This record gives sequence, structure tokens and C-alpha cells, in this order.
Amino acid sequence: MMQYVLKRVLWMGPLLVGISLISFLIMHLAPGDITTTEASFNPKTSQESIQKLRKLYHLDEPVLTQYGYWLKRMVKMDFGNSFASHQRPVFWQTKDAQGNITKGMIQQAMPITLMINVLSMALIFIVALPLGVISALTHHRAPDRGITIFVFIGFAMPGFWLALMLMYWLGVLHNLLPISGLHSLDADRMGVIAWCWDAGKHLLIPVFISALGGLAGISLFVKNGMLDVLHQDYITTARAKGLPENTVIYRHALRNAWLPLITLLGLSIPGLIGGSVIAESLFAIPGMGKLFYDAVLMRDFPVIMGILTIGSALTLLGNLLADIAYAWADPRVRRGVAG
Amino acid sequence: MKRVLANPLACWGLAITVLTLLLALFAPAIAPFDPDAIDVKKILLAPSSVHWMGTDGLGRDVFSRMLFGARISLMVGFVAVGIATIIGVFLGAISGYYRGWVDIFIMRLVDVMLSIPTFFLILAVIAFLTPSIWNIMIVIGLTSWMGVTRLVRAEFLSLREREFVLSARTLGAGDLRLIFWHLLPNSLTPIIVSTVLGIASAVLVESGLSFLGLGVQPPQASWGNILTDGKEYIQFAWWLSLFPGLAILFTVLGYNLLGEGLRDALDPRTTN
Amino acid sequence: MRLRYLLLLFVLTACSNKPAPDTQLQLDSTYPSQSGGAMIDAMIAEPSGLIPMVAAESASSAIASHIFNSLLRYDKNLELEGELAKSWDISKDQKTITFHFKPDLKWADGKPLTSADALFTWQLVTDEKTRTPYASDFKLVTKAEAPDPLTFRVTYAQPYAPALDSWAGLQIMPQHILKGQDINTTAFARNPIGSNYYRLGEWKNGESIVLSANPLSTQGVPKIDKLITRIIPDPAAQFLELMADNIDVMNLDPIQYSRIVPSRPELKQKIALYKELGNGYTYLGFNLKHAPFNDKRVRQAINYAIDKQELIDGVLLGLGEPIASPYKPGTRWVNPQLKPYPYDPEKAKQLLAEAGYKDHNSDGILVKDGKPLAFEILLNQNKQRATSAVLIQRRLKEVGIDIKIRQLEWASFLGRIKTSDFDAVILGWSLSLDPDQFSIWHSSQNHPGQFNFINYNNPQVDKLLEQGRLELDPDKRMKIYHEFSRLLLEDSPIVYLFEGYGLPAIHKRIRGIDNPAPPAGIGWNSQDWYIPEPLRRKEIVP
Repeated sequence: MMQYVLKRVLWMGPLLVGISLISFLIMHLAPGDITTTEASFNPKTSQESIQKLRKLYHLDEPVLTQYGYWLKRMVKMDFGNSFASHQRPVFWQTKDAQGNITKGMIQQAMPITLMINVLSMALIFIVALPLGVISALTHHRAPDRGITIFVFIGFAMPGFWLALMLMYWLGVLHNLLPISGLHSLDADRMGVIAWCWDAGKHLLIPVFISALGGLAGISLFVKNGMLDVLHQDYITTARAKGLPENTVIYRHALRNAWLPLITLLGLSIPGLIGGSVIAESLFAIPGMGKLFYDAVLMRDFPVIMGILTIGSALTLLGNLLADIAYAWADPRVRRGVAG
Repeated sequence: MKRVLANPLACWGLAITVLTLLLALFAPAIAPFDPDAIDVKKILLAPSSVHWMGTDGLGRDVFSRMLFGARISLMVGFVAVGIATIIGVFLGAISGYYRGWVDIFIMRLVDVMLSIPTFFLILAVIAFLTPSIWNIMIVIGLTSWMGVTRLVRAEFLSLREREFVLSARTLGAGDLRLIFWHLLPNSLTPIIVSTVLGIASAVLVESGLSFLGLGVQPPQASWGNILTDGKEYIQFAWWLSLFPGLAILFTVLGYNLLGEGLRDALDPRTTN
Repeated sequence: MRLRYLLLLFVLTACSNKPAPDTQLQLDSTYPSQSGGAMIDAMIAEPSGLIPMVAAESASSAIASHIFNSLLRYDKNLELEGELAKSWDISKDQKTITFHFKPDLKWADGKPLTSADALFTWQLVTDEKTRTPYASDFKLVTKAEAPDPLTFRVTYAQPYAPALDSWAGLQIMPQHILKGQDINTTAFARNPIGSNYYRLGEWKNGESIVLSANPLSTQGVPKIDKLITRIIPDPAAQFLELMADNIDVMNLDPIQYSRIVPSRPELKQKIALYKELGNGYTYLGFNLKHAPFNDKRVRQAINYAIDKQELIDGVLLGLGEPIASPYKPGTRWVNPQLKPYPYDPEKAKQLLAEAGYKDHNSDGILVKDGKPLAFEILLNQNKQRATSAVLIQRRLKEVGIDIKIRQLEWASFLGRIKTSDFDAVILGWSLSLDPDQFSIWHSSQNHPGQFNFINYNNPQVDKLLEQGRLELDPDKRMKIYHEFSRLLLEDSPIVYLFEGYGLPAIHKRIRGIDNPAPPAGIGWNSQDWYIPEPLRRKEIVP
């Protein structure tokens, strides 16, 4: 077991280098760099100032050399500064000589996205677990069918369309909820409770939209897991022993159906920091998705690389944790039958 | 097939998918207007007996555009998933069959691909290639094969230890014969199911790309770009967003129901 | 799930305490001018910083223009007047400009603002280490000096007519704060001290920027206390916010302007619509190095074959004007004798026939030397431009030209444009108020990255552009640029498609707006706008 974990951890290094190299190459394949987009179309821009900028950022050197510079900085965990004119630190805050603190871009965007995703994940699990169990228990009967249709409608709905309709209906026609943004303009003067209530109102539609799309996946997963378990020998045995149906389901079946969910949780860790560009632009939320999208459009290489690196490191970590948790929870794996 | 039809949800799914396919197939015959015929005097007309779904910002008939858009949207779905399936089956098969270094390499490749955001890949490729619908299909295909790969690999890993495979091997069957004759046919169920579900996702991905302006380009109509065109006027020209929205909703729902129905019907667990 | 959601809605309905609905506001009464209140508007992108010479983007200058002053500015009729400068003189040889400062100017922190700040700003913008695209105009200054606190003098090697315009564009920075700092990374960019009507109150990353009235303003104190700018990237969401009365100002698109607002009484009742001259024009440009665009007859034929009025009706719902010269309509630089090419497909066909194009296989597409008359129009993801392209495609097909449309994301698009890697392009030029367009049309400006990417080359035009730069007399300059516009129209290196109006919608609580808008647009007197006390938002305490 330890050996297995160790092997996986050792794999992460080369994998990260591979991912970052591929990302770096793709990034440079697309035409344009920061000098094409910045001050983009101002006839007063002089050719000289563009050259100056390219040199400053080593954009005039071969791609692999540039990757070398980047890797060298990464070894020191230095994510660098944005190419955009504000040159803010990509990852974490820095302090200048006068003591002014400049916040990092990821530092500011990450908590927002994390909060929304944790809330919507929680909502998904709270709703999808019972739906999945009910579905499995009433397989091929009316409740199962109703649930199936409901979760699929949630999945099939183009999110931005529903979002706009809800914004119009709840925000404009009925004036119940704010339309976009994270806080009201007077949020700073609110008490803690009022502030939370205000933030909650702002987050309601975005969280609802993002949860709705994810229901289908999780509830079907739970349902199929349950169905699997319900057909296993030990359940049949338990039933044959004359145990009450409730005991069978909650003591034996549900407990085992949990296992794959652990994997799923692990796999969704990286998803927690990846924001949705569409939702964030629509709801005016300054999160990771918008940050990344804007960086790609601007060809702001350090920001792109910073987000991709953190994202892929978390993905690999999530995969690993999922596998370990699964191995730990499943005695068959623990004993080394599989793995 | 009989068991699919016994499931009413799957029946509905099948009905929706067949209906949309037929509408797309016979679009030129059904469409009352040329989908690209511009008439600046008929801008944004509400639905009427002449224009069933109204007209858009250039006076084009939305119903006709929806029909031709169905062709594009469904084609994007089918071709993209076709590409993903071919790549996925191929890589999954050699990964699960040969195991060892090939397997490790392919699985790490899957990990890498899964950790690079899809839209970043799509943006880069679209920026680099001509942004035609073919490239959108290729891009969606190239970025969605990982699931199939894992699936096929898992099937192969479990099948290759089964008795009928072992006996075929002892009888002297070669690798290719084993893969194509024994392993692949027995892994078809999950492949088919994931293909059907994949079509649904690809239709959604196209609409999301359209929102970002990276989807099928004008003047060609797709459900995604008709919907995106209408989003600014959702309170006024509701017909511009309602019809494509519903079309996407029902089509994706249809393919999902069909996919689940197939999974259910072909699943040995639910036999009793 | 559904039940839960409905319950939540119910709770929200029960608890929502919205301010008085608009129907109770007396929006049509008249009120005397009053100070105070807050105006909220929205922006698509967040500024990267508030030092415009470094940020070099429209979002930044939109906010920074409330905070900083320039030496000169344009008045409501787009004539230059003093801002920090009281007056200016030009020497006999036209090479030296002397600016005389208004007395007793102060920065918002109370420190005196003098000509030394102007000199410092000039040093800043021309400094090699400063990351700015705007240095070129100011590098032509051979000597800049501040002999006393109220005098700033600049000398050029030869007369430079666009100089005054360039000084109207350069915002003066405070020397006492920025001296010795790295202008590119200074925290000042997010916490500026200026001298204009407003000073920065609060900047919430990615959410909003609040400006409050500057009591020490060099231009007098504005009526409205707070300007709040929210960052809302999606235009559809912005419009919803306007409908819900959460923002006061927004630029509408033609459909919102002429269809949605008028059709809704509750909107019409609270929102006033304005119309102003746009800031730029949209054109179809040809890569003149590529066949068939090296043939003037082909370019003119395409110009005749495009129905500009149809574009204005279809794309702008009539809310725009056709133009015939690259200047803002109504200004002195427009040559009144020039008329746009009329829509005349017969003339277009005739010109194409003269140029040797014939339809051999009657597929409707003209052919010359075995090559069909076909090309690709490149554009970025801009809805108006895409719609224009579709309309143009149809009209050109009617005269036998086959068009493909290719839309690219902005950075890739710019990459292709700047290396002249295209056949034809639909793009817009914003109109500067100075008539000099040397960098766009002069034949020397066609290297990769420069702005004559269509490779226009006309020796006569080159000469006029050079003359125009040396001539400071407005009347003589006018003649030069009228002749330049005439040659440009005749040559048809680009097809002027239209100039769209700016369509601001403003809540009726905002008063004191000039309507109809003067040439400078409705925002020219925004410092005098006011919000009568009874109409102010209750929830925003000043």
C-alpha cells in the first residue's frame, strides 16, 4: 500500500512538468502575445515600445528557452507577475518599499470561486443522495422516472439561458433577488447577519444554476451504486436472514454504495477551484473562470500558467486522494487484491 | 431492443432523438423560408402564422433557421462524439490489452488531458485553425475521449481474464483477433451508452462555446448561436431564445433518456 | 428540490424590503439643482490601473478622466480650451508652445499643483523605463521647461500640428507622490491622487469603483457626490440591472434603444433615452497588396455594390449615418462636398467587367484568368460587424463576388491584422479629434505592427499628410484634410460602412443633462448633472 502511494506521489513530479510543458506549448501555438493585445489598437502605439516590451518579457526568445525561465522560477515557487499593465503578482500578495500591499490575482479570485463551488457541491450532494437512493429503491416505477426526468432536465438546460430567465423573473419582474454582483453597494455598513443575508441573496441564483447541472451525474451515480449493491449476494443473504428491509437498505446497502462516492469527491476537488466562465461573466463574479478566460484572451502567460499549474497539481492530488481513500475504505483493495 | 421499448422513458428519448434527426434530415423540405434570406424590413417579428417562430435581428425566419441549425448542432454532436469514441476505444483497448508501460503512458496522458481545461484547448486550436464547424467538431472530439478510454480499458482489464478469452488465447488467437473478435464486442454496451450520452454533452458544449463567441460562426445557424443571439433580448424578443433553448433542452434530454434506457436494458444486473 | 426552492422564494418575498417603487417617485416634476446623491453606472471590464498612460485602455481612461486633469481639453463644440492651463501661446516659428497655468491649483491632498508637475509628467511619459504606448508624440519635444510655477514651455524641432491635441490627452501626474517610484508597478495606480472633480473613494476588486467629489477640485466642485461604477461583464445582465433600477446609466444597443425601451411603459417612464455622435466608424478594408484589390476599379465596384443604408437599417435600426470622410460628422474637418458611394449594382458590374471579370460558367461568380472573384472577410467577435458581414456577403454575391466570413478571437485577429495576413477586414477606427491620420494612411507606416496594415500607398496623400502635420493654422489645415479625404474616397482603399450613434440611457432621476447632445456628447457637462433629493436612492448613504 505504502509503496503504491509512494509510486503515485513520485509520478506527480514528471506529470506536472509534462502538463506545464504541454500547456506552455499550446499557449505559444496560438497567435499573438501580450504586445498584440495590450494597447491593442491605438495608432499612437509606437513599434519601439512593443519591441521594448517583448524584450522585457523574453517574448523574443525561443519557446523552450522561455519555458526554461518559467521552470526555474517555479522551482522557487515563484509564480511571477502578470504581463498586464498592472503587473500584479499572479499568486500571492507582495509588499513594496512604502509598505503598500498588492494582492495576488489568484489570491483574490480563488476564495470567491471556492465558496460558490463548495456551496453548490454541498447542495448537489444534499439533494442528489436522497434522489439517487429513492430512484434505486423505486427502480422502474413512477418516483424513479420522475426523478430521472427531473435531473436530466437540470442537466440538459443550457445554464446561461435559465440564468437569464431567472435573473429577469426574480430580479426585474419581482424584485426579489439581486441580479448580478456579490454584494450590495452598501454591504460595508451592514452588520454580520445582514451582510451574510445579502451575500446569500446574491449567491442564490448562481449556486442554484451550477448545482442543477451537476445533480444528474451524482444522483445517477448513487442510484447505480445502490442497484449494484442491492443485487450482491450479501444483501440477498441479509434479506434471506429475515432482516427488516430498512435495516438491509440503510445498514448494509447504503454503506457500501458510499464507497464510489469517496472517489467522486476526490475527483471533484480540482473542480472546486475552476470557475465557470459563463456563469461568472453573467453574474459579474470576479472568480477564477473569468480570471483565466481574460488571461487567455489577453495572452497573459504568467497568469495562464499559474492557474493551469495550480489546477493540475490539485487534479493530480485529488486523483491520488480518491484512490487512497478508496483503498483505505475498501478492504479488498487494502489487502492488495487490486491496485 | 424490446427491453428498451419496454421502458417508457427510453421510448420518449428514442422518439425525441428520431424526431430531431428527421427534422434535421428533411430540413430543406420542411423549412418554409431560406434560412439565410435577409429582409431588413421584417426585423424581429413576433411568431405568426407566416413566421411560426418569428424573425431574428436580420429578418430571417427563425423556424427555418432552427431546422437548419438542427443539422449543424446534431452533426457537431455526432461527429465530435464519433472522433472521441474512435480515439477512446483505440487507446483504451491497447491500454487495457497490453497493460505495462503502454498502459501507464496512456493513463498518464489521460490524467494530463483531464487537468488542462477543455476551453483553453479549444480556444488555442480554434485560434490556430480555421474556425469552421469541422474544426469545432474535431476540437470537441479531441478533448472528450478520456472518459471512453478509461471505460474501455476497465472493460478490457476485466474481460481479458475471463474464461472465454483465455480459452481463445490457448487456441492460438492472435492479438488483433482477440481484440476485435472477443474483447471489443463484449465491451460494446458501455461504449454505446457513453456515445449516446456524449452526443448530448457535445450539443451543450457547442451552445456554451457559442455563448463565448467561439461556436459555429455566422451566417451558419446552430442552436447555440441562435440562442446566444437572442440572449440580449430575452425580455422582448422572447422567441429568439425560447425556441433554441427548448430545442437544446429536449434534444439533450432525449439523448440522455435514451442512453440511460440503453444502459438499463443492456445491463445484466436488471435482468430479473 | 422544487419545493425547497419555492419555500426559499416565499421567505425572500416576505422579508424583502425594497425602497419605494418608482411609481411613487415624481419623475416628471421639475426640481431645482441640488448637490449630493450618487449615480451608478456599469462597465464591461475592470480597469487594470488608473494611470492612463500606463494602463492604455478605455476602461482606465473612463475612470481616470474624472480624477486627473490635462493642460487642455475639448469644449462642448470640440474646440480646444484650457483646463489646467488658463491660456497658451504659439511662437512665431510655430515650434514653441507656452502654457500659462491657472493660479492656486491644488492636488486633492492639498499640495500645490504647478508647472513642475507638467514637466515631471512629460519626463515620465518619455522615460525609456515607462511602459507606455503614448510616448511617440512627446518624444518630438526637444526641450521642455518650467521657468516658473505658472509657466510650462515645450519646443519642437519643427512645427507639429497635432501637438495641442496630444497635450489635451496627457493627464498630469503629481510629482510630489510619484517622484522616485516605478510608475509601472506603483501602488498609486490603485490609489491615485488627482486634481479633477472626483477622487477615488473605494475600489472593490472585480466589483465596483466608487469616486467621491473632490472638494479641492481645480475645476469646481461637481453636483453629484458619488460616482459608482459597477463591473458587469455581460451586456444582457447590465440591461437587466438597468431595468431593475440598480444602475442609472448604460449605453444601449439599437434594438434595446428603439424596440425594447419604447415598448415598455414602465421603462419609458423612468428612463430617458439620448442620442449622441458615435466615436468611430466601421469600415470594410482591403489588403491592397493582394489581388484583386490592387485594382482600383474592383475596390470601387465593391463600394458601389454595398448598400450602406441597408446596413444602417439592418445593423443599427437606422441609428447611424453614412460617412464619406474619416472624421466626426459636424466637425470642421469633414469635407461637405463628399458624398458616399451610392448603392448602384449596375455600375459595380460594369466596373468589374472593365477590370476583366466575366462569368464563364454562369454559376453567378465572376472569373478572370481562370481565378474566381472570391475573398475572405476577417473580423473579430463583434455582433454588429458580423451582421454587417452577412449583409455585405449577400450584396456582393449579387454582383458576382463570392465572400467567406471568418470570425476570430481578438488576439488572434490582431495577430493576423498586424502582419497584413488577410484579404479584407471589417474593423472600426475611433475618431480622434485632431485630423492627423498619418499613422493610418501614410505609406511609410505599413510595417508589421504598424497601422497602415491595408498597405495604402498614394504619394499625393503622403504629401498632404506630411503638410498637415506642419501646419498649425486651422483654416489651412482644414483645406489640406479636405483634399486628403477627397483622394481617399476616390481611391476607395476602404469602404466606409457607417458611423453608429452612441445611445446612452439614463434614469430620469439624473437632471441637468444637455439634450440634444452637443458634438462632444452628453457627458461633457456631467459635473453639472444633479439628483434632486426626493429622487435619490434610499439605500445609498452618501
